[in-house]
Amino acid sequence: MKKILTTGLIAGCILFILSYGGIFLGVRFFPGLFVAYDNPLFNSDGNRDVLFYLHAFIISFALSWFWDRFKSLFKGTFIMRGVEFGFVYAMIALLPVMWISFSSLDITVVMVVSWFLYGLAQAIIAGLVFAKINP
Amino acid sequence: MRNRYILLVMLLILSFTGFSMKNHTDTKRWVVSQSSSLSVNGSTNINTFSCVIPAYDKTDTITIKSKTDKGVVLSGSIELSISSFDCHNSGMTKQLQKTLKKKQFPALHIRFLTLSSLPVMTQKPEPVTGMVDIEIAGVNKQFGINYQISQDSDNVIHLLGSRDLNFTDFKLIPPCKLGGMIKTKDQLTVAFHLKMKTI
Repeated sequence: MKKILTTGLIAGCILFILSYGGIFLGVRFFPGLFVAYDNPLFNSDGNRDVLFYLHAFIISFALSWFWDRFKSLFKGTFIMRGVEFGFVYAMIALLPVMWISFSSLDITVVMVVSWFLYGLAQAIIAGLVFAKINP
Repeated sequence: MRNRYILLVMLLILSFTGFSMKNHTDTKRWVVSQSSSLSVNGSTNINTFSCVIPAYDKTDTITIKSKTDKGVVLSGSIELSISSFDCHNSGMTKQLQKTLKKKQFPALHIRFLTLSSLPVMTQKPEPVTGMVDIEIAGVNKQFGINYQISQDSDNVIHLLGSRDLNFTDFKLIPPCKLGGMIKTKDQLTVAFHLKMKTI
């Protein structure tokens, strides 16, 4: 349990920097991709900002538990294991959620694809961290 | 004695006629036509937006109540439906309407209070200043506005005005998305073009 929490926290800190740094750079250098977020679908009064920034830790702790439970199934080098872990997460969790989101919400294809790739990148990074420090 | 009565009656008649003539010359009514428009321009840290009410769906009048050395006193207002805003992007349109609290306050009002002067109307736009009272989301605020006023060959009076406002002037919170990474700036420019006919 301690190992799950420790690796989750380390992965959370790394994902926090990379994820929000990535969004910050994306907003700065590709502003056109973010225009669609000026929409009441997205919270605008700031009362959920803490929850937004906690996401990196929520996904890290969840993936850390998942990794600890099923890590024996991922074989090969730590890079292979991390990448495969990311793809497994993307297929079983992200893809269905993106599918239902696009079918039910007034959002664009670009938005859904970017969320999928963002989640996939997060899971691969977390997988690499887990494969390295909790093999 | 009889002559005095006649003189008194004549004076009374003259004075009443004089008043009525004065009122007749001072009071004018302008009917705001449906081709009038209003736009709200603003920006975020990633883009700019321009939301318009392309056509005015009511027939309101603006009355010139009196002229003094200090200016012209007006009465009358226009009422604009928040639902009529079009930002050329459905998400942005919905966002502006939500920010302006459409559900609680479905209309914004512009009440015309004064003009600095009423120039002789020509096709050449003349600059005038004036005061208006703007009500958005239930909050009223008075502003000075720089206008351009002119009259075209069809006797349509064109009153163009613009003014920078802040969302916070009306206790509104500019939208802020993705944990504050996308921020709408507080300042907005409201511009209107009223087309009116004298009645």
